[in-house]
Amino acid sequence: MLPLLSLLISLVTLVVARSSTGTDVLVIVSAEEQKDYTLFFEDLEGRGYDLFFREPKAEKPVLLDADVPQFHHVLMLASDTKAFASDITPQNIVELLTKNVNVVVALSPKQNLFYTLAPEFGLVPPPPGTPLISYFPERTDPPTVLPVHVAPGPIVTPNTPPVWFSGIPFSVGNSPLLVPILNAPSESFASDSDSTTESIVESVEKGGEGLWAGSSLGLVTGFQVTDGGRALFLGGGAILSDAFANKALPDGSSSGNKQIAHDVSAWAFQESLVLRIDETSHHVVNATEPKEYYTTNDQVVYTTKISRWNAKENEWEPHTGVDDLQLEFTMLDPHVRTGIPEDLARPGTYSVTFRAPDRHGVFKFIVDYRRKGWTHLKSAITVPVVPPRHDGYPRFLSAAWPYYAGAVSTSVGFVLFAALYLAGETKEAGKKKKE
Amino acid sequence: MATAYTLPDISPTAVKNTASLVRIVALALISGAAIASRLFAVINFESIIHEFDPWFNYRATKVLASQGFYEFWNWFDPTAWYPLGRVVGGTVYPGLMATSGVIYNVLHKLNLPVDIRNICVLLAPGFSALTAWATYMFTKEMKDASAGLLAAAFIGITPGYISRSVAGSYDNEAIAIFLLMFTFFLWIKAVKLGSALYGSLAALFYFYMVAAWGGYAFITNMIPVHALTLMLMGRYSSRLYVAYCSWYAIGTLSSMQVPFVGFQPVRTSEHMGALGVFGLLQIVAFAQLARAHMSSKQFKDLLFYSVIGIGLIGAGGFVGLTYMGWIAPWTGRFYSLWDTGYAKKYIPIIASVSEHQPTAWPSFFMDLQLLIFLFPAGVILCFRELRDEHVFVIIYALVGSYFAGVMVRLMLTLTPCVCVSAAVAFSSLLDTYLDPAKPEVPVVEETAPATASKPAATATATGTSAIDDVVNAAKKSGKRGIFDLDTRLIIVFNAFCMLSFFVLHCTWVTSNAYSSPSVVLASQNQDGSQHIIDDFREAYYWLRQNTPETSVVMSWWDYGYQIAGMADRPTLVDNNTWNNTHIATVGKAMASTEEVAYPILRKHDVEYVLVIFGGLIGYSGDDINKFLWMVRISQGVWPDEIQEPNYFTPQGEYRVDDRASATMKNSLMYKMSYYRFAELFGGSKQAMDRVRNQRLPTVSPTLDYLDEAFTSENWIVRIYQVKKEDPLGRDLKSANAFTDGKKRKRSKPVSRRRAIM
Repeated sequence: MLPLLSLLISLVTLVVARSSTGTDVLVIVSAEEQKDYTLFFEDLEGRGYDLFFREPKAEKPVLLDADVPQFHHVLMLASDTKAFASDITPQNIVELLTKNVNVVVALSPKQNLFYTLAPEFGLVPPPPGTPLISYFPERTDPPTVLPVHVAPGPIVTPNTPPVWFSGIPFSVGNSPLLVPILNAPSESFASDSDSTTESIVESVEKGGEGLWAGSSLGLVTGFQVTDGGRALFLGGGAILSDAFANKALPDGSSSGNKQIAHDVSAWAFQESLVLRIDETSHHVVNATEPKEYYTTNDQVVYTTKISRWNAKENEWEPHTGVDDLQLEFTMLDPHVRTGIPEDLARPGTYSVTFRAPDRHGVFKFIVDYRRKGWTHLKSAITVPVVPPRHDGYPRFLSAAWPYYAGAVSTSVGFVLFAALYLAGETKEAGKKKKE
Repeated sequence: MATAYTLPDISPTAVKNTASLVRIVALALISGAAIASRLFAVINFESIIHEFDPWFNYRATKVLASQGFYEFWNWFDPTAWYPLGRVVGGTVYPGLMATSGVIYNVLHKLNLPVDIRNICVLLAPGFSALTAWATYMFTKEMKDASAGLLAAAFIGITPGYISRSVAGSYDNEAIAIFLLMFTFFLWIKAVKLGSALYGSLAALFYFYMVAAWGGYAFITNMIPVHALTLMLMGRYSSRLYVAYCSWYAIGTLSSMQVPFVGFQPVRTSEHMGALGVFGLLQIVAFAQLARAHMSSKQFKDLLFYSVIGIGLIGAGGFVGLTYMGWIAPWTGRFYSLWDTGYAKKYIPIIASVSEHQPTAWPSFFMDLQLLIFLFPAGVILCFRELRDEHVFVIIYALVGSYFAGVMVRLMLTLTPCVCVSAAVAFSSLLDTYLDPAKPEVPVVEETAPATASKPAATATATGTSAIDDVVNAAKKSGKRGIFDLDTRLIIVFNAFCMLSFFVLHCTWVTSNAYSSPSVVLASQNQDGSQHIIDDFREAYYWLRQNTPETSVVMSWWDYGYQIAGMADRPTLVDNNTWNNTHIATVGKAMASTEEVAYPILRKHDVEYVLVIFGGLIGYSGDDINKFLWMVRISQGVWPDEIQEPNYFTPQGEYRVDDRASATMKNSLMYKMSYYRFAELFGGSKQAMDRVRNQRLPTVSPTLDYLDEAFTSENWIVRIYQVKKEDPLGRDLKSANAFTDGKKRKRSKPVSRRRAIM
């Protein structure tokens, strides 16, 4: 029985992909809407997540208990809900994110608390009641349901077919923490569906000001919180829905909704593109132990080991192939800035040897690696660099030979003089005696 | 010969032996008094290190005692001047720490496990006893042993010296004054005897002095000035040559062994005087030699041309070397000694120190009392004999008086000279009036004027013929003259009273003015009992107990040493004010708005900011009162960003109430000082700053980039924690607004196209 069980477990672990932070997912969704997402939920459960459902107005289960997050991930799919329970506030959601909880938020044309949450991330939703509209390509569906071409990026699987989208776009700010995943088609715009033409004509006359249109608007945008979780903003929850997953594209082929739902949830729940620094070490050349302080002009070796989360294997594996990792040796300003090449003998290990600057002070080894979509890597180790010890300077300097010669010649001269003087003294004394 | 009173008939040897015994006993008692009067600080408060600089010395001594001399020599302190660090071994005068370290090790070798703190606390009183002895030796060379004893007693208890050497005042001056006096004594001895041994000993103690205090430059210039004056007076002798050459050669070479001094003795202008006199002595000596072997005419010509030639070469060489950068020009600190307004204009960091201000007149009386009146008399008495050593005292008096007038802290160097001069004067007075000898009364026919008795006292000493007549007349007039016992008793009693009042004054000043540790403040309760205000230690221990060891604390530089010593946390700036820019950076952070200050704080990894605020209990030495110096110092580096006039009201007043300027109200220092201050008074109009006597606005300032972390019992010390950057990348002001639930203004997407017209 036992071997069979272990075999089963190993099989299960082989199959399921897991998040690097945990498996508990709180889904805040109303009972009616819950039915629309069965395929997505099945996908999540198939990847090993434990789903907990909560009505938007229900008090339990709580997000935070005594400031401790109760779930690893939160899915806010109740986009059409106007009023939420008292603990679901923008402030609490931000707090969850700072505590390494991942949050997925679906916006909708109806205004709710997420309209005050999104601007904090640099995402500005359009006025309420103005969904994204596009009349291209020609199709039988209403203009608010539109296929969107998926641009290649690090998060979504390459060659994903266009996906169906329905919801609102938002303008994407210039925060470097934002990760655009899916942008609106260039011919789409956000508008009140009743008075489309007039409002467009009006704003075009103003030179496009206030026009929510074009490919710079985001539909699905991620946000990597510094030292925290990941947030994912969806213009509408429908992109994850069963209806869109099964809906064929205008040309008859199947849509990419299922694929993108999988990919963005994998990114948002920290399955993919998750890095960490396993260890950093530093020592002088030809030593192994780190020194408490370095002397100016020491040859210093800095080594760091970077791992990537492998969701399939459910383990951290060495992350290879980074060719733009940088080390800064900083005191107020970087005194040394150098690339850290990969140590090919040890996968995932990056190592560099450099000369400590000829300047004493408290320095920091800083590795600050930020790439869109990836977890930010930040490591700072403080270490003092001190001047040489009193006996650490070169003892004899060639430049000082004149001084050595001077000292020696003076000494010799003094001895000679003293000897002559003393010898002469007796003679003189003798002379004096004679007189 | 007539006497005023009969002396007991004792054999001269017995008198001599008793006198030496009395001298020893007197010196022992003087030492006891000197030490005892410095213990007020320990008795009234506790055995604690005082003020600011002593905290660094104490910390350094602990390193020296625990890790040995070589580790101390190579000590790099990464926690000071973060992140620049401080090479302590090379930037410190190690004499004080080495002395304590030696005492500590000796005591431990003797199995006396004395705590290093107690050695540090009691070092200054101990050395004051040695100072008394050195002054005794010095004055003995001037006059005699009795004057020496008086001088020892004076220096032992005079507040001018006590102010720097009470128990706990563990500063370089504590041992430096002893070294100063002893070096001078040895120099005088060397000049008197023409002894190379004493000259070398003087050099040895000069080296000790160089290792102990930056004020060694005073000796470096006093001795050459003395030698030069003697030469100009035509008193050149081989004794002077031997004494000076042995002192200069050995002293300079040995002083260069102190890492902090290094090549300064041959590279800086402050030391060039000594070198110049050394060279001049050689020339003069050579001239003396030449004169002995040449005719007078030849010698005169030779002298004329050589003096001009050498003078030109010397001056040209000096200017040339200075120009080429081989000799450092005078430093700003040096200029500020000559022009008291210089520092205020060019180096605000020096002017900002209260002890660098010019001395106020009352403090001369406060510190020296009776001695300041006797001082000129003593100097004049020195002119009567005018031996070589008296010339020294006269020069010392002139130079010392000038410097004491320029800077409060240099009162200290004047004090020994005042004590010596006053002792000479006082002892002359006593000598005159205790001497039982009565001059013979010659028989003169004239009748004496009734007023003749007054000048008689001085006449005994000087006496021109006219006065002699008068005196003789007075003596003739009978028994009621000045030489009789009753008048002598009046003078001596008067002198005794003066001395008694001097002792009372010294004791009073010492116990009331100079024995406060300033780390602990004392106030009086309504019933007269003492109330201790211990906010500083409370706050420093809070830092020590509640923050990670690596968290950097920013404060104004005054508190750097205390934070390092008591809280054991890295500081940005401290009392070793070697880097003006770094201090100006701190000043800029304090004087700017939060938005400007925050990047500065983050760049320097500051986690806590500490301010001193006295507005609640009326502690006037707080940061708001020092604030203008922060503004001035940072204005010196960033004149475009910080401007002093912005911190005043349009009327030119320095205010903190409603009328304070906007720049002032938005400055980080103002905000940190008055944060939640009005709430303490219930938000009413009652919030009163008791230092500046101004009513604060009812709404306290708000802080977005800092959190209040700790405020001490009497609000003297306030500590703020610097917030981390917002994890969402917003500025902290809008992040706080969001947390407080304030709504953001709606924004629209920015058009990337220009309007087509």
